[in-house]
Amino acid sequence: MKEHISSFFSLTLIFSFLLTACGAVQNIVGKTVEVSIVYGSEKRAWLEPLVEQYNAEKHQTEDGATILVQASPMGSIESVDAIISGQIQPTVWSPASSIYVPVANAEWRATHAEDLTDSKLNDLVLSPVVIAMWEPMARTLGWPETPIGWSDIAELAISEEGWAEYGYPEWGEFKFGHTHPDFSNSGISSAIAEVYAGVGKQRGLTLDDLQDTALNSFLTDVESSIIHYGRSTGFFADRMFERGPSYLSAAVMYENLVVEQEGKRLSGQSPQLPVVAIYPKEGTFWSNHPYAVLNASWVTDEQRSAALDFEAYLLDTPQQSLAIEYGFRPADPSINLTSPLDAQHGVEIGQPQTVLEVPTAEVTAAIRDLWKQVKRPVDLVVVMDTSGSMMGDKISAARSSLMEFIRLLNDRDQLQVMTFNDDVYHLSDLSPIGEKRESLLNRVSGIVEGGGTSLYDATLEAYQQLETNGNPDHIRAVVVLTDGKDTESQAKLSQVLAEIGGSEEGGNAIKIFTIAFGSDADTDILEQISEVTGGKQYKGDVNTIHEIYADIATFF
Amino acid sequence: MHRSLRITFIVIFAIAALGIFAVAIFFPAFRDFAYAPLRELILPPPKPVIVNIYYSTEKSDWFDGVIDDFYKAGNTVDGKPIELEMKKMGSREMYLAVLDGEQPDAISPASSLQIAILQDLSEDKFGESIVKANQGDNCRSLVETPLVLVSWAERAQALWGAEPNSHLWQKLHSALTDPQGWASVNHPEWGYIKFGQTSPLSSNSGFMTILLLTYDFYSKTSGLRAEDILSNQEYQQWFLEFQGTISQFGNSTGTYMRDMVAYGPSTYDFVAVYEATAIEHMENASNRYGDLKVYYPPATVMSDHPLCVLDAEWVTPQKAEAVQVFTDFLLSREAQETALLDHGFRPVDTNIPLDQPGSPFLIYQGNGIQVGIPAEVEIPPGNVLDTLLNFWSRNIQR
Repeated sequence: MKEHISSFFSLTLIFSFLLTACGAVQNIVGKTVEVSIVYGSEKRAWLEPLVEQYNAEKHQTEDGATILVQASPMGSIESVDAIISGQIQPTVWSPASSIYVPVANAEWRATHAEDLTDSKLNDLVLSPVVIAMWEPMARTLGWPETPIGWSDIAELAISEEGWAEYGYPEWGEFKFGHTHPDFSNSGISSAIAEVYAGVGKQRGLTLDDLQDTALNSFLTDVESSIIHYGRSTGFFADRMFERGPSYLSAAVMYENLVVEQEGKRLSGQSPQLPVVAIYPKEGTFWSNHPYAVLNASWVTDEQRSAALDFEAYLLDTPQQSLAIEYGFRPADPSINLTSPLDAQHGVEIGQPQTVLEVPTAEVTAAIRDLWKQVKRPVDLVVVMDTSGSMMGDKISAARSSLMEFIRLLNDRDQLQVMTFNDDVYHLSDLSPIGEKRESLLNRVSGIVEGGGTSLYDATLEAYQQLETNGNPDHIRAVVVLTDGKDTESQAKLSQVLAEIGGSEEGGNAIKIFTIAFGSDADTDILEQISEVTGGKQYKGDVNTIHEIYADIATFF
Repeated sequence: MHRSLRITFIVIFAIAALGIFAVAIFFPAFRDFAYAPLRELILPPPKPVIVNIYYSTEKSDWFDGVIDDFYKAGNTVDGKPIELEMKKMGSREMYLAVLDGEQPDAISPASSLQIAILQDLSEDKFGESIVKANQGDNCRSLVETPLVLVSWAERAQALWGAEPNSHLWQKLHSALTDPQGWASVNHPEWGYIKFGQTSPLSSNSGFMTILLLTYDFYSKTSGLRAEDILSNQEYQQWFLEFQGTISQFGNSTGTYMRDMVAYGPSTYDFVAVYEATAIEHMENASNRYGDLKVYYPPATVMSDHPLCVLDAEWVTPQKAEAVQVFTDFLLSREAQETALLDHGFRPVDTNIPLDQPGSPFLIYQGNGIQVGIPAEVEIPPGNVLDTLLNFWSRNIQR
């Protein structure tokens, strides 16, 4: 008996020892600590390969856990809104600039004891906010000898003659673009710079300044030249550089995007005209890509120290030197500014000469509100497929996402809703949303499915409706949602493409956004329809349709 | 040698050696006399004297560069090795930590300003001062560096010509508050004139700046009183106008200067920093955006980096002695020359020439770096300094 007990104890001891050892080994070998980063999309080209390289090198914390970095690009303003509302819980927030950090901290402190970020954050890379313009157009304005400013751009935007005033009627209107201030850092930077230009200041902006009615009409005029807004600066730059001068004359972006485009042009990857960075004479802002490990309850001490390890890696000389290749100015001042940061790539490192003062948190927030009142209105026709194949979850998701979309629009925006199956039905006329929002929501909630798919007829009719009834001073767009191929139309695809792609208005032409809803939709055809107008094609399903409508809303 | 004599000799040696081993167990000071190969095997390692030192961030690069040499030299106190537990922090944060009950053995803020305040505030709080700065070697300055004004050479030239005269702060005040900004000297493209300094609450250089501004307003270099700060509206208006032009106060002098060079002339036209900080970034600036120019205010104040042993119960004589050994090391010619040649500090050892070959005082002469410095202002009593800080905090802090 004694022997049995003794054996039992020995076995238990050995077993427990093995278990403990395995646990210890697992702790050492298998433990990872995840660092999630949401970052301004402009530094994607530089950051993404570095994340991959860092993860491959298997960096470890002091406790021996392997650090795994997961980085996702997201608009700078949009991301902090999502953090504050609790939608996302990243370890690190690295927006495109510090400009919105005070507002983020002020909003966070409304419900928390301390700021969301530390007061002094390290910059990762630098790039000034510039106005990117096609070189021949910039030269027409006197570049590079004559300094050009926000006020000059505003004047050009307001001018009814557009480029004709400078002897180039063939260039048409001055078409200007900046991103949406509710989503993107360059958008809010543009809005603040326009306000400074409107009140003739470079610093000391106050809430009283924003009450000026003259400022209100000045901003309205400037914004009237915007072809559309957008969610990210990178997308905006792609659009401009893909579609050329007839689409956009100039857009607010970052210096590094100009360098990137010129690199492509010089190496033969882009057939476009040269583009140059204009550093506004009144001053501009810096996109400084601060790195903020969040002071939030969901960030553990281990994640914090892992996040700081990754920060140190990004600030190390090889990674900082690499940033130059992507057109950034390294945050490390010991690294010289060399090619491609040069005139050959459309930029001048002696610029900018001055900056605009970053306004207080409350003034910045007030500018965001003011912009909503003065932004260019939109005339929109939404066309929804209600054919029989939409039955079930699809029609239900399409209805509810459209209703959410309708709620996002401003009172001044004009909306017409159409549905199609064998025929095309008008649920409403094109008129301001403010006066009909509730009745339209009711109407949309009653949409039912059945019948075939006359996609081409419906698209063409929506386009023609907008051409006839829309206001050319507004952004004009059609949103088409379909889950299948055309089965019933009189019109042919070639006919539709010829008509919608025949506009000579460039960036101010009616844009068509198409949504391929589910796997049966013909994405090639929908891509052609959106591409020819300068719109965008989306692929979605019942799970992503809400997000797609939200993305489309950022253009307006 | 006779065999019996040899044996006697060996026996005496063995007894003496064993005796030393026995004594060394209880008195580590005798450890060095014990037979070396055996003592490492037989004697337990002596317990180190652990010293906690808080020090200001400005000298961390210098410390990092020389501390290995300190350990390699095998410095001891009573035969016990010295182990340094170093913690770097802001100078104000440092004295607030001590007042708050933290127990370092020694502190080394950026300047004697913080020691003056700590003396007064600790006397108020504990009944007697926790630093006896004037007694013996309790406080010794490690290196010095004066406060200077740094600008981009091209811009300073446009504003002041070859040299500003002795009214540097007055001229800067006029320039900063001129709504025309750089347009007043035909350079509208440079926008408004941008001056930067750190927050006096978190950084010593910001504190030194507001002290010099205040002295300058009264055109004096000593005898500053609390009434000068609190009771003169003309001074208050002038001071607040000046400080009101600063968009953002930094927390660290080094970071401020680094930003000036990283962002270029667009962001800061002038910053008030230490001479050593300016020297550190001189080459980077030239390589990146252009030359910097350094100006010495008409009267200056030294960041003198005192290393002070605290007069507190937890500081044993051995710890106090260890601090002195460390101080002696930092004041050695080698460590002082490293501070000069690699980090731009002025050695306190006046036998070390500032303008020796390889010295930044020679290399950057053309950028305005000079060996001679203006007269120093008197450091006012702690309560006056505290009044100045509170006045700033109430009216400017953002």
